[in-house]
Amino acid sequence: MLNKQLDLLVALQDLDIMIKDIDDVKQIGFDVEGREKLDEARNELTEKLSKPLAFNYEKLKKRYKRAIVPVKDDFCLGCFMRVPTQLITRGREDTAVINCEGCGRILYWYE
Amino acid sequence: MQVVWSKQNNNNRLNHGVTMQSKDLTEYFSENLFVANLKAKTKAKSLEELSDLFVANKVIRTKGIVLEMLNQRETLGSTGIGKGVAIPHGRTTAALDVTIAFGKSKNGIDFDSVDKELVKLIFVVLAPPQDDNNRYLPVLGKLVEVVHDKANREKLLQAKTFEELMQVFEEVG
Repeated sequence: MLNKQLDLLVALQDLDIMIKDIDDVKQIGFDVEGREKLDEARNELTEKLSKPLAFNYEKLKKRYKRAIVPVKDDFCLGCFMRVPTQLITRGREDTAVINCEGCGRILYWYE
Repeated sequence: MQVVWSKQNNNNRLNHGVTMQSKDLTEYFSENLFVANLKAKTKAKSLEELSDLFVANKVIRTKGIVLEMLNQRETLGSTGIGKGVAIPHGRTTAALDVTIAFGKSKNGIDFDSVDKELVKLIFVVLAPPQDDNNRYLPVLGKLVEVVHDKANREKLLQAKTFEELMQVFEEVG
């Protein structure tokens, strides 16, 4: 069960990617049916998100290929700007959803 | 097996211009992501057991996100492709690189496969969304191609160590 808002956002992006990949995976030969189930799951996830976060995600998705990007070696892998130290600490603590100060994308820490 | 093998081999769009040989798959496996005898007896537990390995080896930070993605993928149709093989897969924001975890089940697991056969070989393929080198789909396609061959499946079933597993892919070419 995913509870944190950031986890929900990541799950939402993963679902969007899965929906986009359906045709390619189907061509490899996997059994892929019931796209509507993913749409339902997407709606359920969106309902669990706070409205401002859901709005922010959709806005970023329209602007960029990915709304959520990884942070590696303290750099946002969306715009390659260094993330300020105070944000790194908060991001690693997983207590808040943090947007890159350079590009506005939502940041995801791997470690 | 329901998988349409010939399409994968000749589909340039899916290969993204990447020429992949079976032996190239070896770079996506890791000894720490190999389980010769899975403890799990169910599909859900096997996905959990292999996801635990990803966390333990710092491929991902938290299991929940990946499990959510893998379970959502299963709602589209089982990744049990038949002949005792399952290839759960997906792109996730939680992964930094294309990575394969491989587990074997001695007694087999009900994966709701297309042919209803119990699954003894499980490959979990994770990939990041960005995947700039476009390796995810070629890796997935090549893996499907390798396990389609009965002789390869038998060798995989017999592989007891990671070295033996790698040898199977090296020998296929």
